[in-house]
Amino acid sequence: MQTRRVLTKELMLGVIVALFIIFLSLTTRFFSISGLFSLMLDVSPTIVGTIAMTLIIFTGNIDISAGTIMGFVAYASADLARAGVPMIVFVPAGLLVGVVLAGLNGYITVQFKVPSIVVTLAMNMVHIGFFATFLPNSGWIEGVPTSFTWFGNGRLFGLVPYVFLVTVAVTALFMFIMKYSRFGKGLYAVGGSQQAAALAGISPDRTVFRVFLFEGLLLGVAALLKAMATTNDVLPSTFQGREMILIAGAVVGGVGIFGGTGKIIGAVYGAILVYLLSVTMIYLGFQDYYQFALQGIIILLAVYLTVVDLKKVRRRLRHIFAHTGAKGR
Amino acid sequence: MDHMMNQHDPEIVLSIVGAEKTFPGVRALFNMNLDLFRGEVHAVCGENGAGKSTLMKIITGVYQADHGDILLNGNKLKLNNPNDAYAQGLAIIFQETSLFPELTVLENLFMGHELRKPLVPGIKYPVILDYPAMRTKAEEIFTRLGLEIDLSARVADLGVATKQEVEIAKALTFDSQILILDEPTAALSNKEVQTLFETIERLKAHGVSMLYISHRLDEVFEIADRVTVMRDGEHIKTEQVKNVTKSQLIAWMVGRTLDNLYPKSEVELGEIIFEARGITQEGVLNGIDLNLRRGEILGISGLAGAGRTELALALCGLAQSDSGEIVMNGNRVKIGSYRKAIENGLVYISEDRAKYGLVVPMAIRENITFPLLRKLTNRLGIIDAAAESKIAEGYVHSLSIRAPNEETVVSNLSGGNQQKVSVAKALAPAPQILILDEPTRGVDVGAKSEIHRIMGDLVTEGHSIIMISSDLPEIIAMSDRVVVMKNGAKVGELLRNELSQERILEMAL
Amino acid sequence: MAGKQVGGLRSKITHRVVLLFALIGLIVVIGIFEPVFFKPSVLFDVTALMGEIGLMALAQTYIITTGGIDLSVGYNLQLCAIVFGMTLFQTHLIFLAVVLALVVGLLGGLLNGLIISRTRIPPLVTTLATMYLFRGISMIVAGTHTYSGFPENFKKVSNVTLFGFFPIQFIYLLVIFVVLNVLFNRGSLGRVLKGIGFNENAVIFSGTNSKRYLLWIYALSGLISGLAAIIYLGRLSSATTSMGDGLNLQVVTAVVLGGTSVFGGVGSVSGTFIATMIIGVLRKGFTLLNLSGNFFNFTLGVILIASLIVLAVVDKRKARRGVPPLAAKSSAET
Repeated sequence: MQTRRVLTKELMLGVIVALFIIFLSLTTRFFSISGLFSLMLDVSPTIVGTIAMTLIIFTGNIDISAGTIMGFVAYASADLARAGVPMIVFVPAGLLVGVVLAGLNGYITVQFKVPSIVVTLAMNMVHIGFFATFLPNSGWIEGVPTSFTWFGNGRLFGLVPYVFLVTVAVTALFMFIMKYSRFGKGLYAVGGSQQAAALAGISPDRTVFRVFLFEGLLLGVAALLKAMATTNDVLPSTFQGREMILIAGAVVGGVGIFGGTGKIIGAVYGAILVYLLSVTMIYLGFQDYYQFALQGIIILLAVYLTVVDLKKVRRRLRHIFAHTGAKGR
Repeated sequence: MDHMMNQHDPEIVLSIVGAEKTFPGVRALFNMNLDLFRGEVHAVCGENGAGKSTLMKIITGVYQADHGDILLNGNKLKLNNPNDAYAQGLAIIFQETSLFPELTVLENLFMGHELRKPLVPGIKYPVILDYPAMRTKAEEIFTRLGLEIDLSARVADLGVATKQEVEIAKALTFDSQILILDEPTAALSNKEVQTLFETIERLKAHGVSMLYISHRLDEVFEIADRVTVMRDGEHIKTEQVKNVTKSQLIAWMVGRTLDNLYPKSEVELGEIIFEARGITQEGVLNGIDLNLRRGEILGISGLAGAGRTELALALCGLAQSDSGEIVMNGNRVKIGSYRKAIENGLVYISEDRAKYGLVVPMAIRENITFPLLRKLTNRLGIIDAAAESKIAEGYVHSLSIRAPNEETVVSNLSGGNQQKVSVAKALAPAPQILILDEPTRGVDVGAKSEIHRIMGDLVTEGHSIIMISSDLPEIIAMSDRVVVMKNGAKVGELLRNELSQERILEMAL
Repeated sequence: MAGKQVGGLRSKITHRVVLLFALIGLIVVIGIFEPVFFKPSVLFDVTALMGEIGLMALAQTYIITTGGIDLSVGYNLQLCAIVFGMTLFQTHLIFLAVVLALVVGLLGGLLNGLIISRTRIPPLVTTLATMYLFRGISMIVAGTHTYSGFPENFKKVSNVTLFGFFPIQFIYLLVIFVVLNVLFNRGSLGRVLKGIGFNENAVIFSGTNSKRYLLWIYALSGLISGLAAIIYLGRLSSATTSMGDGLNLQVVTAVVLGGTSVFGGVGSVSGTFIATMIIGVLRKGFTLLNLSGNFFNFTLGVILIASLIVLAVVDKRKARRGVPPLAAKSSAET
């Protein structure tokens, strides 16, 4: 009964290293310290976004509108920046947009007891429609000022991207929150069993609403990290569909889709794995639409591995090993 | 086993004074009194339905009493929910654990009331969880219990007994002075029971008082200082354990009246129509043999967890058994699914109507004809509505289900009438044999006697019944023969003229 | 039902009456702005427009009634359409193309059904994943191709009208509606599906193999996606890798707006039918009033959220009046 999980940290790290070696053998472009940091820059928004999605999945919920929420944040901040507003204003304003939109999802989910997947699916469409209908150029913002781009393109000592530093900070902060706050423990409790959580004095409704707020904040950070790394324009529609990558990263990272299980660090590994897989495929010459099919399969496979009765699988394996003469333990 | 208490006047930590609780149609608790001394183990005994669990739920704030008081150290308590009880140092260890299996032992111990400290010493906020403090406290509690449990182990990886110890330790993190143990040994092996008893002894030595609810009388004699017997929601007797005998206890427990039961009609028993041989399910059922005659009511008695329901499920294909065979009307039959069981004339009525029996938001008619849908449907997949209504109407009439008509939604019916719908649903495919699991649990007296009348009619018409019941007077009044089960095995069989509550209990305990 | 009132039926009828009034009101309002809307050929064009959505929504009603959902229908349709286009252009055999499209649709549905009935993966996650899977496969199959310009005799599957205004798609829709509605309300199938939605255990304890029903309704949903793809192509005459975008939202909205509960047990095929028409009228109206397709999607999303909220509030009211709430079922049986 000791090791129940198939998706162990060791296995995941192994796959990541293997993928990384394959990837590096495909191209020499990143084969330098600075090149490696460029990869880290690229993967950063995915990591932060995956953490956001992971928090939601911890409570047994999901957010299909995560991608479009990120689009809104990027648009709002970039538009403000273009209007000459300083960073001290447009960053919090963008984050606020994320918090409000995700909070709306959370409010409807909790208040009306509607499954979050249906609410956020509809919200996803509302967002897409809103962009195309009400925003000039579908929210495409050209010629963003350097007040917007300097941070995303800047590097500490000319080497370590600020974006990556933020990502490390966010990861550390949320690992800390999950371990050292009552809120963090409450997420697991609510996802594990709403009844038992209520018995322990934790309100499931309040917890779920709050986690949506946190998710919105983190999605905002992820969106800004991605958008600010631009040199010229911001196109919110590029964020559409990103929720799948985030969900894939979380479930590959061992976050149980029913809620109540998983670790932030696992989700980070999952995000890196999914990212590496996709860039490797691109360098192998696959068109990016292969990603759609792949993400679908990855999610199914990862979820299957977390719900399958591993005791049974192991018993069967032991059976096979016993018959082939090898010792299975 | 004589401890520090007793010699001088014992200190009363908790007392229940005149507690009463009535549910619609059932008086669950009446003028109940109980005193709990400091550092004593106080057993509460009684048959199923005697009111033990209602009493415990009142003490822990799950229910509120209609009348009466709970006094903690002489002060009146007002409990609105279990959290209030915890805060007052009253904790209940439930039969099924309330732990989070995916979390560690330490996380579980303090879930919702984690110890915290300021992030920066000296500044009040923000606060973070104080793992060293929690760890120290947990270790202290486990040392006090004489246990060694890895605090960072995942609860799902622990055995049943260890989970229970964690559950007890969790209660102690609230600094509880009073613990309520509800059937704590139900799922434990003999060795694990001994470990639990050692734990209880240690707690006692630390002045913790315990209410101990158990069906297993041997345990009561082993661990308890005093025992209170309840019957029909009333306090019968409280006595020092050393001053009573087992047969005395049983006599107090079974003094129930039998007069509200419908007398069983005398039916000539026919040939053996059903035989089960060596039904085995690894770790659950242990080679059970059974037979049933035409027109017979076979009672199955035993304590909760003896494997009665599991046996019923295995017999009718709702659970796979590892070995064993079933012979019906002289032919060996293989019952691999419940559909096969129905085709062979065997039906099962679950104890948990709302979960396994009925689709309560649907109409009586729709529920009754569920097992018949195939027969009522023509080649185009359309249900013969007229025939269906007629069948349902027939049952509403013949079982006198009290409802305006067969279109009434089941959730609008009383418990007894819902149970009659269950019976009707089971009768619809015209079975030869009915397995009834606790047919009268949770129904009022009137409905109970009606269900007994229906059972009498059924056997008169040539059906046979296997009845699982924890209600001893019911078993005795209704059965032609009784099979007693214990720990997944058949431990005895009694004919009608041999039946008495004492004999059954002696076998089952 | 021989004039007898089934409990809860009355409220369902009220819901459908409200929908019907909404439909008529919507037609009148749009007609006032654009009087051309009242012309039968224009008005009935709505039914042509909604042919494929309507078909998929009818099948989806079965699924949502069991407490499940199929988000993959839109891209299953897209995949079928691409397969159809590719087969037709490579072999010029219409018959083969039709058969292959239906087979692919059925296989997609069976995949969903197998996963959902054999593993513990919830329908939401399963079909969310296969939705992306089907989308990806259709893009891989199509590559950069767009298949357009189908033969004239194929286009007849969708371009024929009866009496000059009655589109043939409406006939398909009506036929499938009648069959599915009758099986739902008067057949054993509907009874079992509702039973599964309310309490799957009770259905199993009636000797019914609920998993087999689940398998086949997802398969049906897939097959109907294939059928819808063919009808869609007859109208649009080009198979693209974006034709599935947003379809699942329209389908789910039609079902939820039609009064089927996402918690399972309560469903209405005729409600879905009327709701489909409402969405169709809205879409046609938006086109007539020169409003963009994206604004339409926006409106649709708002309608879906609003109807979820309204149904939840009505449910709560009922609960206050003593009717057991449908939402009381625990969502995931963990």
